[in-house]
Parts: sequence; structure tokens; C-alpha cells
Amino acid sequence: MTQFARWFRERVPIQGHVLREMTNEPVPNHLKHWWFCLGGTPAYLFVVQIVTGILLAVYYEPSPSTAYESVRYVTEQVPFGWFIRSVHKWAATLMIATVILHQMRVYFTGGYRRPRELNWMIGMFLLLCTLVVGFTGYSLVYEQLSYWGATVGANIAANVPVVGAIGKRLLLGGEAYNEKTLPRFFILHAAVLPVTMILLLSVHILLIRLHGVTELQFKADRDEKSKFFNFFPDHLYTEIIMGLVLMILLSALATILPVGLGPRADPLTTPEVIKPEWFFYVTFRWLKLFSGTAAVLSMGFIVFVMFVWPFIDSAISKYTRFAEASVWIGIVAVFAIVGLTIWEAAVEH
Amino acid sequence: MPDASDLHQPQSSDGMDRRAFAKASSLVMAGGLIAGYGTMAYIAGRFLYSSTPRKLAWMFVAEAAKLHVGDTVEFRTPAGQTVTITRRGQEGTAADFLGLSSTCPHLGCQVHWEAQNNRFFCPCHNGAFDPAGKATAGPPAAAGQSLQQYPLKIENGLVFIEAPTELLG
Repeated sequence: MTQFARWFRERVPIQGHVLREMTNEPVPNHLKHWWFCLGGTPAYLFVVQIVTGILLAVYYEPSPSTAYESVRYVTEQVPFGWFIRSVHKWAATLMIATVILHQMRVYFTGGYRRPRELNWMIGMFLLLCTLVVGFTGYSLVYEQLSYWGATVGANIAANVPVVGAIGKRLLLGGEAYNEKTLPRFFILHAAVLPVTMILLLSVHILLIRLHGVTELQFKADRDEKSKFFNFFPDHLYTEIIMGLVLMILLSALATILPVGLGPRADPLTTPEVIKPEWFFYVTFRWLKLFSGTAAVLSMGFIVFVMFVWPFIDSAISKYTRFAEASVWIGIVAVFAIVGLTIWEAAVEH
Repeated sequence: MPDASDLHQPQSSDGMDRRAFAKASSLVMAGGLIAGYGTMAYIAGRFLYSSTPRKLAWMFVAEAAKLHVGDTVEFRTPAGQTVTITRRGQEGTAADFLGLSSTCPHLGCQVHWEAQNNRFFCPCHNGAFDPAGKATAGPPAAAGQSLQQYPLKIENGLVFIEAPTELLG
């Protein structure tokens, strides 16, 4: 051992083989199927978001008089500004899409069942954080959509019984959107939510490591002798390939479909046709179908049911004959979500 | 060599044993922590709640005589709200006029007048209101909401409106 290696080993007292054992968890064979990488994909995209987000924050100025101009400056003046902003936007879109797909995969393979109920709930918190990060993100641009989206979002909060009015005031920093609002959205988007998500993600991954990945077997795999393969190097290579594919995809999307800039926010005029980002089409349509409080309470109830679903599911299979009811309920829910999204996308009002 | 269990025996020389003292002091400590961090949380909450009082003032809109029945003027408050003021009677009092906010009571978008449908329409969630501001369709109708009315008064033949003065950034 060289002198430096000895010096280093004394300061970082861990042996190479211990480190390898700690990280080298056997990975169940079914992870060779690509759709089981859907959990790692948003995690990778999250890192892309942190890096591109830090770069964008260098130029962004969160105040109503400067926000739109600073985004325009990034998009039109800063070298590669359009590219960084487009990657940030596309990674956000893909992150939300893959989080939803990951959740669907966990749901339909029953991965949330005992003993993994708590990790499902942490995943639900991560889903909500991802949606709110998306929402606060497009509010920062100070386009028409940003302004009216933030106004509508804050008023949705105000419809929550008891704490709603306080929540709206805390979010906006006043009775309505004002000059104190954008810094709050910026702090939420760039500090509070990302840090919360890093903590939640750590616990999410820790629990996966403690429980081990759910073992599933497919008909095609039955003949294979080894039910596991090594995390290092086999699975790591899969993840690296996935990372490369995502980088290529993001660069291609950002180059072919760069993000534009809508009209500047106008507090006096709500545009004739206004839509949120695609991932809020469901809630937007829901809000059109019911009165404010009814829509907010029913949405809250649906989210609550999603949170405690592992326990509802176990009660269903314990006390009824419909042990596989979750699959059918899931199919109905997916059709409802897709249906409401398409409905909202297809019509102007 | 004392027995290990002796160390945990109560020492009742001054009326309070070790266990009770440890318990009481832990409670006091926990209480202190809760009080301390609770105060910090309260201060942080007040810091974020930023309560600027809403200032109202009477502002000039138009000369009453220049508005005929059915005429409408749009008034923009310093805080940025648009108010549609319509003359509906000829009594010569403030009751002749109706000052309707253009902010939808549902989720705060701006409504606009649709002459062809004789209604105010909110593009966000399809709310509709009749000329008097009463909701006729969409979520505001389901909740029984109306467009907010602003107080108006007439002084020396001039129409005034009472509205917030705080400015948008």
C-alpha cells in the first residue's frame, strides 16, 4: 500500500470489500425487464433538474417586473440558455410522466402490499411534491399561464375548509397575487420542495434496500437457474445505459422542440382560452364539473384514498371475495384519468 | 464492589429519588424545547403571513349625468381590479348604478362581457353571470356565487366608487 493510500484509509476507515458488499445487493431477475427501471428514471431526471435548475437560477430574477424579462434573456441572449431551459422543461415533463408510470407499475404489480405500505405513502408524497414543483415551476416564467395558474392554484387552496384562507395568504403573501408572490413560488420551487424531495427519496430508496426489491417471476423466466443477478456491475450498466438514452432523448427534444415564451402576464385580462400544463388537465376538468368547495373536497378525498390504498386493498382481500379488485379499480381509475385528460385537451372550454 | 443494581436504587435523602428527578427534569426540558421551538414557529408564521392592511378609498368614476340608462363604464382600481359600472335607473341616486367586479368568485380569473350572449363569461372554468352579476352556469352557479359588488355613491352629481388602493407590483 502506498503512503497516500495508507493516509487516506486512516481518514476514511472503510475497506473496499465492505463497500462492495454494502452496495452490491442481489437484484431480482425481473429487473432485466425495462419497465422496472421506471423508478430510477425520475431519480435520474431529478438530478438533471437540480443541475439545470441551478444554472437557470443564476439568471432568474423573481419579481413581477423582472421575471419575464430574465426568462427572455436566458432564452434569447445567454449562450445555450434556450438549451438549458428546454432541457429543464422537457426533463420536468418526462419526470412527471415517468413518476406516474412508475406508480402505475407498482400499483398493478401489487408492489405496495405488506410490508411495503409505508413506502407507497412516501411515494405518494413524492408524487405530490413532483406535481407542486411542476406547478411552481411554470408559475415562475410570469407568462399569462403562470399568472392565472398561480391565481387559480391559490384560490383552490382557499377553498380548503378551515385552513384554506391562511394557506392562500401564506402562498401569495397577500390577499391576491402581488409583488411578494413570485419570491415565495421561487423559494418553494428551488429550495423547499427539492430539499423535501431529496429527504423523501433517501427514505424511499433506504426502505427499498431494507425490504429488498419485490420478487416477481414471469413465465419466460421460470427456466433460469439464478433468480438474482449482481447490482455491480450488471444493474449499474443498465442504469448507465438508461442515463445515456435519457440524455440523448432530452437533447433531441430540447433541440427539436425548444421551449418558447408565451405572452407576458396581464393581471387585467384572463386569456380567452387558458389551460394549465397537461398533468393538471384532470384537475382542471374536475374543477369545471363541480363547485369550488365540492371539487376541492372530492379531490382531497381521492388523494387520501390513494395514500391509504395499501390498507384499503388489504381490507378488501381480507373481508371480501374480490382479492384482485385492485386491478379492476386501477383500470377504471386509469381510464377515468386518461378520459378526463383527453376531454380537457380536446375542447377549448 | 457494589452491585450494579445499587446504582439504580432510589436515593431518598432529600425527598426526591433519582428516577423522579430525571423524569421531572426531562419533562421540564421537553416543555422548554416545545415552548422555545413553538415560539420560533409562531415567529416564522407571522413573518410569512405578511399582513398588510387593506386600504380602501373613495375614487371618482364619472359624471352621473353623462351616463344614460344602459351605459357602461369600466373602472380600473389602483390595485388592478376591473369594475364594470352600469346605469340601471333614473332616480338620480347611487341605487341607479351597479358596480360589478370582473374577478370571478370561483377561482379569481377575470370575467369578460359577452354581448351576444348577454352574460359575463369566465374562460377558466366556464362560469357565467347575468347582467346583474348573478351566476347562471358553471361552478359559481353550483356554489350560488355572484360577482362582487363595489359600494358606489353620488356626490354633487359625480359617481364615486370605494375600492382598495394597494398597488400590484
